[in-house]
Amino acid sequence: MAELRATSPRVVAVLASSGACDRVVPRDGVRVVRVARREVLLVSDADIDVREVGEQVDEPHAVVDDVSAAWAALLLAGDRSREAFARVCELELPRDGWVQGEVARAAATVIAEPALVTILVASMLAAHVEDRIRTDAAELLAP
Amino acid sequence: MHVADGDTVAAALYRAGVRTFSRSVKYHRRRGLYCGTGDCPNCLMTVDGQPAVRTCVAAGRDGMSVTRSGGWPSADRDLLHVTESLHRVMPVGFYYKTFIRPRFAWPIAERVIRRATGLGKLPPTREAARKVVRHEHVDVLVIGAGAAGLGAARDSVTSSARSVIVCDEGRVGAGVAPGAPLDRIRELEAEVRADGSVIVLEDHVAIGVYDGLHVPLASELELVHVYPERVVVATGASQTHAVFPGNDLPGVMLGRAAAALAGVHRVRPGDRAVMAVGNEEGLDHLDTLLAVGVSIVALVVPAALADRVPDGVGEVVVDGHVHEARGRAAVREVVLGRRGRGKRFACDLLVLSLGLAPRDGLARMALADEPVTLAGDAARGVDEEPLARDGTVCLCEDVSVHDLEQAWREGYRGAEILKRYTTTTMGPCQGAMCGRALSCFAAARGGSVHAGSSAATAPRTTARPPARPVTLETLAAGVHEIVDKRTSLHELHVAAGARLDRSGGWLRPFTYGDWREEYRAVRERVSIMDVGTLGKFTIGGPDASALVGRVFPCRTDDLTPGRTRYVLTLDEAGYVMDDGLLARVGDLEWYLTSTSGGAGRTDARLRNFADRFALDVHVLDRTSQWGAINVAGPHARDLLEQLTDDDVGTDAMPFPGFADITVAGIACRAIRTGFVGELAFELHHPRSRGPALWRALAEAGRRWNLVPHGLDALELLRLEKGHLYLGQDTMPDDTPTKLGMAWAVDTSKPWFVGKLALERMEARSLPRRHVGLEFTGCPAHAAGLRGEPLLAGGDVVGRVTSAERSIALDRAIGLGWVRSVGDGFPTRFTVGSGAIATVVPTPFYDAGGARMRG
Repeated sequence: MAELRATSPRVVAVLASSGACDRVVPRDGVRVVRVARREVLLVSDADIDVREVGEQVDEPHAVVDDVSAAWAALLLAGDRSREAFARVCELELPRDGWVQGEVARAAATVIAEPALVTILVASMLAAHVEDRIRTDAAELLAP
Repeated sequence: MHVADGDTVAAALYRAGVRTFSRSVKYHRRRGLYCGTGDCPNCLMTVDGQPAVRTCVAAGRDGMSVTRSGGWPSADRDLLHVTESLHRVMPVGFYYKTFIRPRFAWPIAERVIRRATGLGKLPPTREAARKVVRHEHVDVLVIGAGAAGLGAARDSVTSSARSVIVCDEGRVGAGVAPGAPLDRIRELEAEVRADGSVIVLEDHVAIGVYDGLHVPLASELELVHVYPERVVVATGASQTHAVFPGNDLPGVMLGRAAAALAGVHRVRPGDRAVMAVGNEEGLDHLDTLLAVGVSIVALVVPAALADRVPDGVGEVVVDGHVHEARGRAAVREVVLGRRGRGKRFACDLLVLSLGLAPRDGLARMALADEPVTLAGDAARGVDEEPLARDGTVCLCEDVSVHDLEQAWREGYRGAEILKRYTTTTMGPCQGAMCGRALSCFAAARGGSVHAGSSAATAPRTTARPPARPVTLETLAAGVHEIVDKRTSLHELHVAAGARLDRSGGWLRPFTYGDWREEYRAVRERVSIMDVGTLGKFTIGGPDASALVGRVFPCRTDDLTPGRTRYVLTLDEAGYVMDDGLLARVGDLEWYLTSTSGGAGRTDARLRNFADRFALDVHVLDRTSQWGAINVAGPHARDLLEQLTDDDVGTDAMPFPGFADITVAGIACRAIRTGFVGELAFELHHPRSRGPALWRALAEAGRRWNLVPHGLDALELLRLEKGHLYLGQDTMPDDTPTKLGMAWAVDTSKPWFVGKLALERMEARSLPRRHVGLEFTGCPAHAAGLRGEPLLAGGDVVGRVTSAERSIALDRAIGLGWVRSVGDGFPTRFTVGSGAIATVVPTPFYDAGGARMRG
């Protein structure tokens, strides 16, 4: 079965030059997602030191901001997590990596691990995406 | 009737004596079981309420409700068969020609034609079944689970590859008579199933091959979107559809249908049969029929196979052909021809096993460079077939050789244009039966560059999805058009009993019970509103000022930090797309709000222009990150002062301006706004703190009897100020001047998006403008006037876009657009049932703006 859980991860956005984005180094437990040439998201279950990230970026006009309130994470865990995910999204998940695209018609960043799928969506759309997963993958989800 | 184990619906019907399976769509000719492989339209019936089910491959079961399509009052006794005698007055394309004059005739004729045709009726009340939708990414998709398909699936097995094989005729091996071919299928199936990397999907139909590659597979219960790296089409071959007079009579049957009835379902397809054989498979069918006791009275066979004809066959006609089938309700006599001479044979069955044509339609849907290959019989060539002088070419659309000839004479000289004019190949079988005959017909007449092509080489018409009939329910599966966004205050609104509805893509409160009381709270006391739906953006970086200067038409370089300005967003054509507030945060940082529905587009346009102009700018969309609550009313400042130590006075925070302050312990960006026409502060805050801020404001506001307001109250509040709702009050080609907002454009700027177009339009006379209206003689509740035309001298010269009775002014007011008439714009109109509308200046309320400046 799969288990669906909503969480509020820590997310820090970095908007900077391409070279400055390259300098962002992941720490333990922090996933660095390069969503665009000049944009990086750092995602973690634990706090992220924004000041340290700013020092890594080291660019005067870069934006380094804690944008956690903007995001919600829907976690699909368990042996049928990918099957449940495939009910609402056509994206092909890597074994360990991330992709961007549409999940239940909402823009999302999806982080895939062997037994865990983390769907990062705008918090204003989290309820919609969660509803869709619970409806469309009902028989795959643990009660 | 009884349904035997393993029966298809069609087999059970045939066993019960049913011979007329349907009526043809146009001439209501009787149609019997024909292909037996799901390729032709003859056996389409309504099964358990679902129309157009291919009964020759659909599994039957006791208790099924099966209705034949076509025919009135029934398929057996069909009075509409009279249309066949009207063939001369209903030639091909008749409805293009016959009902175009007088014009009123077509809607009537269309209704009559629609009732007389069709493949059944959709149940009007049936609930759509919930179909599971899922997506599969695989290395190989094999379509077709015969020996070739199973072999391809087995060969695709590697250590890392994942494959799907799909069987569209029930279970693997269904419909194949016991014998060596079925044994081979079972052997391959076992090998494939033994390997866990191959997914076997039975009873699924491939709808089409789309760019990508993307192949949707539909079954009764689910829709599977498959995204394969490569596709193997192993859908086999269908038996060729021979064209001769009487070829569509019940009792004329392709060899596979007859053999399946006899060999699989143990139903004798007829007593006395004439058979035409063109290949070795035909000889197998002959053996099967003989085995169940069918008397073969005559056999047409090529010389190459003549010495393999078994004993027990009547007359053998070597190198002959079927000249004609005759009969009224079913075939009773067949005329065989050889060397210009014909001979008649009485019979009740004509079995045709003349040749094969590959089922390659799915492969032909793919682009040339896409990895789609054919395997097995789907990759074979086409057996030659003679073109007859008459007979039914297209079984689905009732098109005969005679019809094609007439179309040809009318100038439709090419397979593609013949297809469109006669609708040949456009029915449920999608050309599976008639496609080659059509192409061959066109090529043989030399109307194309492929003149002289044979059946094997004549170019086919374009293949497009769907390859098989597909239900609307399937097409709609997984489509959820409504995506509701929710603010962080959603649960609070629900708990407060708000009436929530959709606006700009969000679920928003329209009222909490009494919108007039909410209105009064804003005008007389203080109120709060959830405006977290507004688009919110930070624009930063060395070129941030250059970007806002180019994107917005107003002056921006004079804005100092802490000040805001109302901005319009124009497209390149100078039309108003959106509006909002632009705030200068610092030398290199700006903050922008947009309308609730325009946030996504604003984000895209800002990034787009930053990229196009190669500007060093960062755009951060904070719409989801930040909530916003508007505190509005004469006591708005008093309320804030209860919750903040920051200075929110006029000097510290003048209108229009903003300041970053702390309210109830929550960091907020407070922006002075004027949309409702009262002293107001929009508090932009981290979304996660929204509920706490809302509760604190509501609690502190109790001393002023605070009630929150929704969109219903806002409608009147903004209307009294003459403020437009973009979309409701505007049209897609509105310019700032048409909206009376030329003041929001600084034409002295060297460039901004839309400037060139605006300059060109300004040089012309103004065709339309937006105005304020006051109504007299209208009902007390003036909202009904919204959408009404404005009439002057009996002509429609405009339209009301907003209307309401003002509580503050106690008169009916509105907004609308008016077009120019002669040299000017009319100022007085009749509207609705007898009301008078007069153009008046706006704002209606607090024209000097003293209240909002507070």
